[in-house]
Amino acid sequence: MELIPSLPPSDVEVVKMTLEDPNQYGLLVERYEAKLQRYITRLGVRIHDDQLDVLQEIFIKAYRNLNSFDTSLSFSSWIYRIAHNEAISFYRKKNVRPEGHLVGDGDEVLSFISSSLDTADVKFDQGINAEEVNKALTLIDEKYREPLILRFFEHKEYDEISDILQIPIGSVGTLIHRGKKQLATVLNKDALRI
Amino acid sequence: MEDQKPPETTSCKGSVMSRIECGEVCPRSKTFFKTRECAVWVLWVISIVVGALAVAVAFFVLNHRQYALYDATHDNFFTFMADVLPLLWIMVFGLMVFVGVYELRHTKRGYKYPLWQIFGSSMVLSLAGGAALHLFGLGYSTDHILGQQMSMYNSQEKIEEKMWQAPDEGRLLGRFGRPLPAPSALVRFTDVAGNEWGVNVDELSLQERELLEHDEMVRLIGQITDGEEGVFYSCGVFPWMLDKPMSREDLRAAREMFQMKIEGYKERSEHMMYRLEGEEGNEDDENDEAETPCGEIEPVRRLDDK
Repeated sequence: MELIPSLPPSDVEVVKMTLEDPNQYGLLVERYEAKLQRYITRLGVRIHDDQLDVLQEIFIKAYRNLNSFDTSLSFSSWIYRIAHNEAISFYRKKNVRPEGHLVGDGDEVLSFISSSLDTADVKFDQGINAEEVNKALTLIDEKYREPLILRFFEHKEYDEISDILQIPIGSVGTLIHRGKKQLATVLNKDALRI
Repeated sequence: MEDQKPPETTSCKGSVMSRIECGEVCPRSKTFFKTRECAVWVLWVISIVVGALAVAVAFFVLNHRQYALYDATHDNFFTFMADVLPLLWIMVFGLMVFVGVYELRHTKRGYKYPLWQIFGSSMVLSLAGGAALHLFGLGYSTDHILGQQMSMYNSQEKIEEKMWQAPDEGRLLGRFGRPLPAPSALVRFTDVAGNEWGVNVDELSLQERELLEHDEMVRLIGQITDGEEGVFYSCGVFPWMLDKPMSREDLRAAREMFQMKIEGYKERSEHMMYRLEGEEGNEDDENDEAETPCGEIEPVRRLDDK
């Protein structure tokens, strides 16, 4: 009889397991630490030690509030929400304005650009400079930056972004659309051509 | 595989797990979150109920204000409105809508709805609830009870009383006592401040005299003719409307009666002036129409100014 390899437990299952056995929480930490570290870096938490502090706070807060996790939402959105709040608290504590520091790999920037080509009414050259996009993202309004990061760098769906930023789905669409437009005006067209 | 992970990742997991394992951090109980969610909903319900009460009182104040006789107490409609607008309750309503929106936004799913929907629903619920409470008389009761319990609160009753209990300005509020012995045209009248007046009822119509005799609270317009003796010359009697339901027709009828009276006094006053200026010595005419203090009361003066 052939054994069917068992699927890894889903996030929701791990949450339930954690509530019975706290040691299981490590699995969730493992699953999300790299993603969240990238995310908070993109949100502007640049210094490595700060990132560790913020990450730790995110996971501790998530653990403390595990009973408030609504299983009708995705765990990913829920923990990203906590990360978002922690990043904001971090800026407040440090009394600084968030400055995006996009850790954009080639694929992410390309996916972002291709989607910009579809909807932003701006024709980008194919040889766009990824660094320029990163720089432009730091220059646009803060309210547009995070939806764009979540959509094009974290690859989140609109409903997930809505849950993370706690805004209506309609507003997510609007912010992304406007963000793209603003980004197009900010982008230095000369820099787009190599 | 392990080597591919950044070193900080491992240390993060380690420190998080060590804090958990040593019992430094524990998950908050479900009850805590349920209680918090309930508290948000309860506060939302409270904000809607208080908002509805504010609307009910505002409806009561706006509906029962005695617009019919506004020119008996004020120079024009705007000054009257400035005095009677239930600003306090409008502010309470606004505040409660704001609190309601805030609470609803902070429920678990509150963020999913656009602000205008949340704002609109809070407004509509408060307004609809307020209208319903007003229909059941809660607007009046709230205003009345608050007026009785809180000396600082100016209930509708208190405002109206202040407005109408102003003998020096030709307004009296009170009840009819016993008639004075004939042939005196004076009747006993006790105002809300407890002062006894002898009210001259010569100018009053039969209808108005009947109203006086009903032993209900009434409003008088007229003039003090003898301050020392406490004689008030009455030019009109109007029912006290606050504690009884008044239809728009009742208000309209009261206004028409008031206007008719005031215009009548004005015409008489003008006629008298004309006669005094141009036809001095015509005794027959003088006997027909004697000059009365009603031509000089405040509402007639206001009509003259217009």
